[in-house]
Amino acid sequence: MEHLQTLKLKCLSLQDYLKGLPPVILDSLYDHPATCMGVFRELPELARYHTMRILYVEQPISKAAAAAWVKIAAKPDHEIAVKSMLDLRVWIETSLQGSDSTAYTVNSVFRRNLQKALVGENDPVLSTSHLGSDKHAKNTESLSNYADERWEAVLLHMVGSDNKSTISQDLKELMLQAGLMKQEHGTGKVITAKGFQFLLLDNATQVWYFVREYLDWIRGRGMNLVQILRFIFELSFSTLGTDLPTDERDEHVLTCLQHFREMGIIMQRKRKSRRFYPTHLAVDLVNKANKPVSTVVNKHGFIVAETNFRVCAYTESDLHYSILSLFCEMEYRFPNMCVLRLTRESVQRAVVNGITADQILHYIKANAHAEMLKDDPILAPTVADQIRLWAMERDRLTYRDGVLYNQFLAQKDFEVLRNYAQWGCFGSVVRYMVVTMEGHDQVKRYWKKIKKES
Amino acid sequence: MEDQSEDTAYRWEGDYEKTWEVLQEDESGSIQASIEAEINKAKKRRLQQSRRNVRLGMMRHLYVVVDLSQAMCDQDLKPNRAVAVLKALEIFAQNYADQNPISQLGFISTSAKRSEVISEMSGAFQRHLKVLQDLGANIITTNAKNCTGEPSLQNALQLGASSLKHMPSHTSKEMLIIMGSLTTCDPGCIQDTISELSKQSIRCSVIGLSAEVHICKHLAKSTKGSYGVIIDEGHFATLLNEHVPPPVEISPESSLIKMGFPHHVSPMESGKISLCMSRNKFTAGGYFCPQCQAKYSELPVQCVICSLTLVSAPHLARSYHHFFPLPQFNERKVSGPTKACYACYKPITTAEYICAKCKVQYCMDCNAFIHEILHSCPGCDISRTQFIPSSNGL
Amino acid sequence: MAEELERQLLVVIFDVNPVWWGIKSLQGQAQITKYLDCLRVFVNSYLLLHFDNHLAIIASHSTKSVFLYPPMKETGVIEPEETAPTDKVGNDRRYGHFARVDNTVTDKFKELMREGCEESDIRRDSVIAGSMATALCCIHRMQNELPGKLNSRILVIKAADDAASQYMSFMNIIFAAQKERVVIDACILGHNSGLLQQACDMTNGLYLQIPNQDVFLQYLLTAFLTEAELRKHSIVLSQSTRPREVDYRAACFCHRSLVDIGFVCSVCLSIFCQFSPICSTCETAFKPPPMAAKTRKKRKTPA
Repeated sequence: MEHLQTLKLKCLSLQDYLKGLPPVILDSLYDHPATCMGVFRELPELARYHTMRILYVEQPISKAAAAAWVKIAAKPDHEIAVKSMLDLRVWIETSLQGSDSTAYTVNSVFRRNLQKALVGENDPVLSTSHLGSDKHAKNTESLSNYADERWEAVLLHMVGSDNKSTISQDLKELMLQAGLMKQEHGTGKVITAKGFQFLLLDNATQVWYFVREYLDWIRGRGMNLVQILRFIFELSFSTLGTDLPTDERDEHVLTCLQHFREMGIIMQRKRKSRRFYPTHLAVDLVNKANKPVSTVVNKHGFIVAETNFRVCAYTESDLHYSILSLFCEMEYRFPNMCVLRLTRESVQRAVVNGITADQILHYIKANAHAEMLKDDPILAPTVADQIRLWAMERDRLTYRDGVLYNQFLAQKDFEVLRNYAQWGCFGSVVRYMVVTMEGHDQVKRYWKKIKKES
Repeated sequence: MEDQSEDTAYRWEGDYEKTWEVLQEDESGSIQASIEAEINKAKKRRLQQSRRNVRLGMMRHLYVVVDLSQAMCDQDLKPNRAVAVLKALEIFAQNYADQNPISQLGFISTSAKRSEVISEMSGAFQRHLKVLQDLGANIITTNAKNCTGEPSLQNALQLGASSLKHMPSHTSKEMLIIMGSLTTCDPGCIQDTISELSKQSIRCSVIGLSAEVHICKHLAKSTKGSYGVIIDEGHFATLLNEHVPPPVEISPESSLIKMGFPHHVSPMESGKISLCMSRNKFTAGGYFCPQCQAKYSELPVQCVICSLTLVSAPHLARSYHHFFPLPQFNERKVSGPTKACYACYKPITTAEYICAKCKVQYCMDCNAFIHEILHSCPGCDISRTQFIPSSNGL
Repeated sequence: MAEELERQLLVVIFDVNPVWWGIKSLQGQAQITKYLDCLRVFVNSYLLLHFDNHLAIIASHSTKSVFLYPPMKETGVIEPEETAPTDKVGNDRRYGHFARVDNTVTDKFKELMREGCEESDIRRDSVIAGSMATALCCIHRMQNELPGKLNSRILVIKAADDAASQYMSFMNIIFAAQKERVVIDACILGHNSGLLQQACDMTNGLYLQIPNQDVFLQYLLTAFLTEAELRKHSIVLSQSTRPREVDYRAACFCHRSLVDIGFVCSVCLSIFCQFSPICSTCETAFKPPPMAAKTRKKRKTPA
């Protein structure tokens, strides 16, 4: 039955992840401007404005005063915003001087570092000026090529179509742990339903998911979480094309650096190089994950989906073909493009594997060709609706657990019980009925009572 | 499409008019290119018409007559002519309201040999839009069952004229007739109606949807209006848009109109509740007529008690740009090093447009934006080249 | 996953009128450098809110209007966002984007000050209307270039007083902004400006007057950071609860005094406070007014 249930690929956002961390770690995490900026961006909108409002105000603000900032209609949003800030320890509850009413104030560590970031105060910091300029300086294009190549290697390994295992054992282990691949007996590693869904996400979300799993994995290994989180935030706020030094970093961070190098998040010329470059995967890490389609649109989109359900993909990459053939049927293949068709069978095949219609649509829109992007809406509503309808066709049945009662000794017993349990379903000729789990206890008690009386 | 000179007494006395030679066929036999060239020529002619130093009719009373007869069920405009016309009129009404805030608009329909007013002449454009939308929806749902019979041009003209007769002389009285049918069924002699209209200086223009009809042409000519027959939907929109800006004034009447500039009282300030005359409800704040203190919720409006026209200064200011139209910029092919557009700093690739006064260059998009929406040249503003006398001192 | 995200574009127009700032700094009341610092922090906070926020800063002088950010060259090439910031100081831990913005703004501002201006260019008013027109053209260009919806705002930080000669351009700009759905906010450092009050009212913007330079940053962060859509949630910022009313009365052309009831020439729409036989603007002759003051039925056309 497992294939009939859609295993939703849950990708926890940064917020949820941070909420799960103990307060001590959070505080030490916030002692770093880049982290504060990253966390700030993850807050809900209203929370961001509230924080900015009292960033430079030293005294605590009473709860009533904060509530008075918004209209009554917006109260629920306000409550959500305050709660998320308290959970993340961006705001801390205190009390006003002289009274017991609750008041809020910005976490002083957070406040200090965010102010530093905004004003542009300089800490003596990591820069490569002491190393001189890089003889082998890379430009942004080669960086993005490198990143794409590495990430594609990772994805190809998932799909199983590359045999030249260019990725290390650690990453393979990580994929197993993340549930993206599983170990089949005899045939080696194979992709799971979750893995299919993973393939359809856009690059930034994929990288973020991977990094999150990576964080869990290293926690198990006992590496220093705080330093690595800081490193990740620093990466996401760095500039493309500027190199960063590897000196003065924690050894755990260095290990992490090597893993990231393999994934294509950063580029380092040699293992022992003293400088490295963040790629666009790093910069997009916090900013573009889990965001709406229009921000993650692939600059080199290659899909053109027509209203007659034909899909033309102007690409030569095997990975793209593999992903597209998850939910389309390949019709023709040319040197520089291939033509596929969206059919009911192909979409339902994808749904069986756990892919939802939304994920398919997201993938098409995120990789739409520049010509397609000029249309508004990007994908024709007929095609979008039809994909959804085909996917919904498999959802006609809902499942609930139940208990089967059969082998009644007498028709009378059966009828008594049937009248009692109106919510079960029953077959009167064959004399069995199915009762839901919730009703089962009650029916059992009733039956015992009847038995005792008769 | 051609103007015929009326000097020759009889047609056969004049030279042969080879009207077909205007359209040239290209090598595949299509006349598409030739038609487009004609339309573009007409557009350029219109743009170059200098409208400075001409009197414009600022306060307009315009009746739009919509033909809702059998001929409008034809599907050469999608989904059918009637619905397409109503949709185009919605856009027209919005543009009209935008460019002529102190003018009024009304709608008349004609079908089954009769005509009736579907929306009274008023300045409340929201109401007009609603009426048009409802009518369009009604036609779609009833499948144009109500579009029957023949239109009556004379009835429609008389209906409009009877209402426009009472308008003050300083306003510009106009009628715009959208005719889809090639016939009309009138109770009397339409020539009398036409002469009556021209005596009242009511300007009638016609937009035909099928073909040129002589009586429409005659009507337009006698009343100094315009006549056009559409080629397709785009051309229809263009022809409609020609009627949006104020027309050149034909009547020599001009007078000083007494207008009120009411002060707005916000609900928080006053706290007292009074009857709002435009909505017939009791509300807290609003605009109070300076003459009779009646309250209204929005401007511009004509006070029902003392018939004073109430406007606010921005409404008048919206029409000022018609008096000082921005002259066309000179188009020049790009030569030499790439320059950037003065306003948006986009590198100019195809053609640059130079303002005659301040001599700065603009790209094509900014040129269109400045002339259609902004109506003032940023270069002249910054270098303070004045071509507008300083007006309102604020 | 939400569908279309709306981007934001903020254009800040900073009034650098030399006369006003010079007088204020001599009196010791305001220093332009301090205001510029506050502006930079505000701009950094705006950029921090969302990684996709777009920004432009224009300095409005008495005779020129210059883009402080993004750096625009004469050839019209805007430096792409990805180039490395010019790190003159090696130890720079600022977020690269902030560093770029700060450096560009500071450099351009210094350049502007160094250029100076001619004697004849020194005036008490700045070309705010011209800067706003350029801002609108830029917004129009961005709307065409960026996919998706763009919420644009213009924040005018005004110091000098209004000029009557800019009325026409101002009204044109207000109508264009209404049409393009651009919100105009105003932050007033000097005297009240009727023109900007009207602009803010007609485009649903915010109009605030700053009492002194110490609270400037706080005002900016509290009021002007919020994007237009979210302002309706806030009691303080939403328009319906603000008590201030804008005076929309017109001024007559002869005395420049505000009138309640005026006479409008039907040809050129100029306003007079009392009847005169000739219109001074277009020189049309009028008939004397009808004897009956109020006619209840509509006037018939005269014979």
